[in-house]
Amino acid sequence: MPIQWLDKLIRRARVKSPWLLHFDCGSCNGCDIEVLACLTPVYDVERFGIVNVGNPLHADLLLVTGTVNRRNGRVLTNLYEQMAAPKVVVAIGSCGLSGGIFRTAYNVIGGVDQMIPVDVYVPGCPPRPEAIIDGVFLALDRLSRPAKSSDRPPLKPVAGRSSP
Amino acid sequence: MNHALIILGIGLVAGPLLGGLAGGLDRIVTARLQARTGPPVWQPYYDVIKLMAKELVVVNGWQAFCVYSYLFASMLALILFVMQSDLLLILFTQALGAVFLAMGALASTSPYSQVGAHRELLQILTYEPLLFLVGVGIFLETGSFKISVVMQWKDPLILKLPLLFAALGYVMIIKLRKSPFDLAASHHAHQELVRGVFTDFSGPLLGMIEIGHWYDTVLILGICSLFWATGPVPMAALAAAAYATIILIDNAAARLNWRWMLGHVWAMGLALALVNLICRHQG
Amino acid sequence: MRTSVIPFGPQHPVLPEPLQLKLTVEDEVITEAVPALGYVHRGLEALAQNRDFHQMVQVTERVCGICSVLHAICYCQGLEDIMGITVPPRARYLRVIWGELLRLHSHLLWMGLFADSFGFESLFMQLWKIRERVLDIQEATTGNRVISGTIRVGGVSRDMDARQVHWIADQLTWVAHQVRQIEPVLREDFTIRRRTEGKGVLTSAQARELGAVGPVLRASGIAQDIRQTGYAAYGELDFEPVTATAGDCHARCMVRLGEIDQSIDLIHQALDRLPGGDIRSEVRGRPQGETLMRVEQPRGEVVYYIRADGGKTLSRVRIRTPTFANIPVLVKLLPGIFLSDVPVVVLSIDPCVSCLER
Repeated sequence: MPIQWLDKLIRRARVKSPWLLHFDCGSCNGCDIEVLACLTPVYDVERFGIVNVGNPLHADLLLVTGTVNRRNGRVLTNLYEQMAAPKVVVAIGSCGLSGGIFRTAYNVIGGVDQMIPVDVYVPGCPPRPEAIIDGVFLALDRLSRPAKSSDRPPLKPVAGRSSP
Repeated sequence: MNHALIILGIGLVAGPLLGGLAGGLDRIVTARLQARTGPPVWQPYYDVIKLMAKELVVVNGWQAFCVYSYLFASMLALILFVMQSDLLLILFTQALGAVFLAMGALASTSPYSQVGAHRELLQILTYEPLLFLVGVGIFLETGSFKISVVMQWKDPLILKLPLLFAALGYVMIIKLRKSPFDLAASHHAHQELVRGVFTDFSGPLLGMIEIGHWYDTVLILGICSLFWATGPVPMAALAAAAYATIILIDNAAARLNWRWMLGHVWAMGLALALVNLICRHQG
Repeated sequence: MRTSVIPFGPQHPVLPEPLQLKLTVEDEVITEAVPALGYVHRGLEALAQNRDFHQMVQVTERVCGICSVLHAICYCQGLEDIMGITVPPRARYLRVIWGELLRLHSHLLWMGLFADSFGFESLFMQLWKIRERVLDIQEATTGNRVISGTIRVGGVSRDMDARQVHWIADQLTWVAHQVRQIEPVLREDFTIRRRTEGKGVLTSAQARELGAVGPVLRASGIAQDIRQTGYAAYGELDFEPVTATAGDCHARCMVRLGEIDQSIDLIHQALDRLPGGDIRSEVRGRPQGETLMRVEQPRGEVVYYIRADGGKTLSRVRIRTPTFANIPVLVKLLPGIFLSDVPVVVLSIDPCVSCLER
């Protein structure tokens, strides 16, 4: 069937060409430089077709490092909503998962999943580039499966989300 | 008639496929120059298939119209080239496509897109005079703007018009969006305008722009290959050599600003072209 | 003449960190630049009030992942000053080694991002390739690539053996050789000089007036380096501050290039003279008193004010980071330049937003 064949081709292309958008959401830079290190010769994610496009309209993959606070949470939600479907989110680092060492600080709301739905969590402080690449591949798994509406719940209102 | 249809088919189908292949090779060579391995050679095809299957987000209806027009103009320019038509007609058609792309970017309100479009227009302003001088040079040499006549020409034009070929090099760098003149939009996003003119195009529209860029790549390499049009092998060799040189320059230069581009390319490019033409005319 | 406002950030590929600059632009010339901060503010100074003063070392390391060790060194030196602890000589030398390794990787990282800001992608890749070797040394000696976690109040928590000392020296020779190969490009390449020379010029009078610190200050011809005060083991090592006179972006790049050589030299010196003995002295009692401690980070001088009231937690920690001191410089330099030069000038002060906002 040509339709099935086309569907298979498209899903393969999605896995082969994930363009990423990186947003530093209140991280200490440790994870950011590891994300950037993934692009450089030793790790070279372009082998897998991964390119840092820096523009939410073009990206398929949102890499978020760091904790959410009251100011950047709005930016994070904006970026997520600007991305065209299909899209996946990878939260990187202990802070991105839960708030990490900063969890009890007064200006920290918590992990990335307080704001947007997260598909893959990569733990570590900071995670090694290998771990980040592995997390990205787990996320790509989701892109290669046929999309189901139950996969992606709508954004739910969370405490702090509406505050500026 | 049948013959013309076959050529049309080649232009429409093989053109972008070749352009994509050139893009893939470019990415591999660039990665190797940067001590990396790089993506597989068919990576640009994956990119475009993926973009075509993404959700369509249109900021402004004009964007879609402009992208369709850009793609159509680029296609038409390559078809005219493959059918060995008039060089001037081809140059005007591709200029039309380039302007439509800038218009599409101007249709959105994003400041990055706006500034990118302005720079794109400045780039067109910079390279068009040189491109037309290339056409004039070919005309003065062969006595015709027709590509079919150029193809019949026995001597390689590059021996007679070496400086004009160097001026065409500037055009190619600008047109292929390579450093030091990748001002309006570069292939990688690490510049002040993020993705410049492409900022507000997304999904299928961006995919179409990418296909249009493949057509443009093949067209500009085709024009370059006219300078040694004694047979298919020298044509391909010249285009490949020019493309490799441009990739090398891309990896050995920083991005310059548009004021410098306009001043330098006009001064150097026009001087090279005019000196060459005057010398030939005198002789 | 068309005036428009370009929001540069908070998400922007040139600057991996969420610093927002609202640029008022007239025909691609900046007329006004207003930084909007607070995207990374977490409130780390307040964490001192509910963490044990030993735990706080880990928090200070995470003020910024790029300056991590030096934040911890500054904090620990402050506490050691309050509590009257003498740090064993071996620990002081190890702190110098890790501090300089950090400076090395931070400067290579910066230089790569700087190259990227003017569109020289291959240079970015080459510099980050060299940097990976420095991170390998960090990983081999501390157990982690970026945030090491080896600094403790009273000393350090990890030692290195003679085999590692030799290995580090070998690796650094390789790094020095690679940097020497890239140096002529940064120094003389036509397009790089075109993009950096005469851009964002800061005179020495302006640098003094605006309170610039670190390589920004030294590039304007003022030889001030906090390492000259001789903290840790710097008093026993030979070095001179690297300076330049032009005060433009190219001069700042050259100062950092000189500091890469200087750091390699300092690590070699420290490895040669590494004394034996303990790596940590005993910490007894609770801190009481206050102190002000300064340390030279890759980006300039960091100041820690620490006050302790004899409890398990500290009553106040105040961190003045180098980027905080250099932001007025940035606001001064931006108006009047072209939009295409904004990334170059912004990166030339090496902004570390995570440090800045804490």
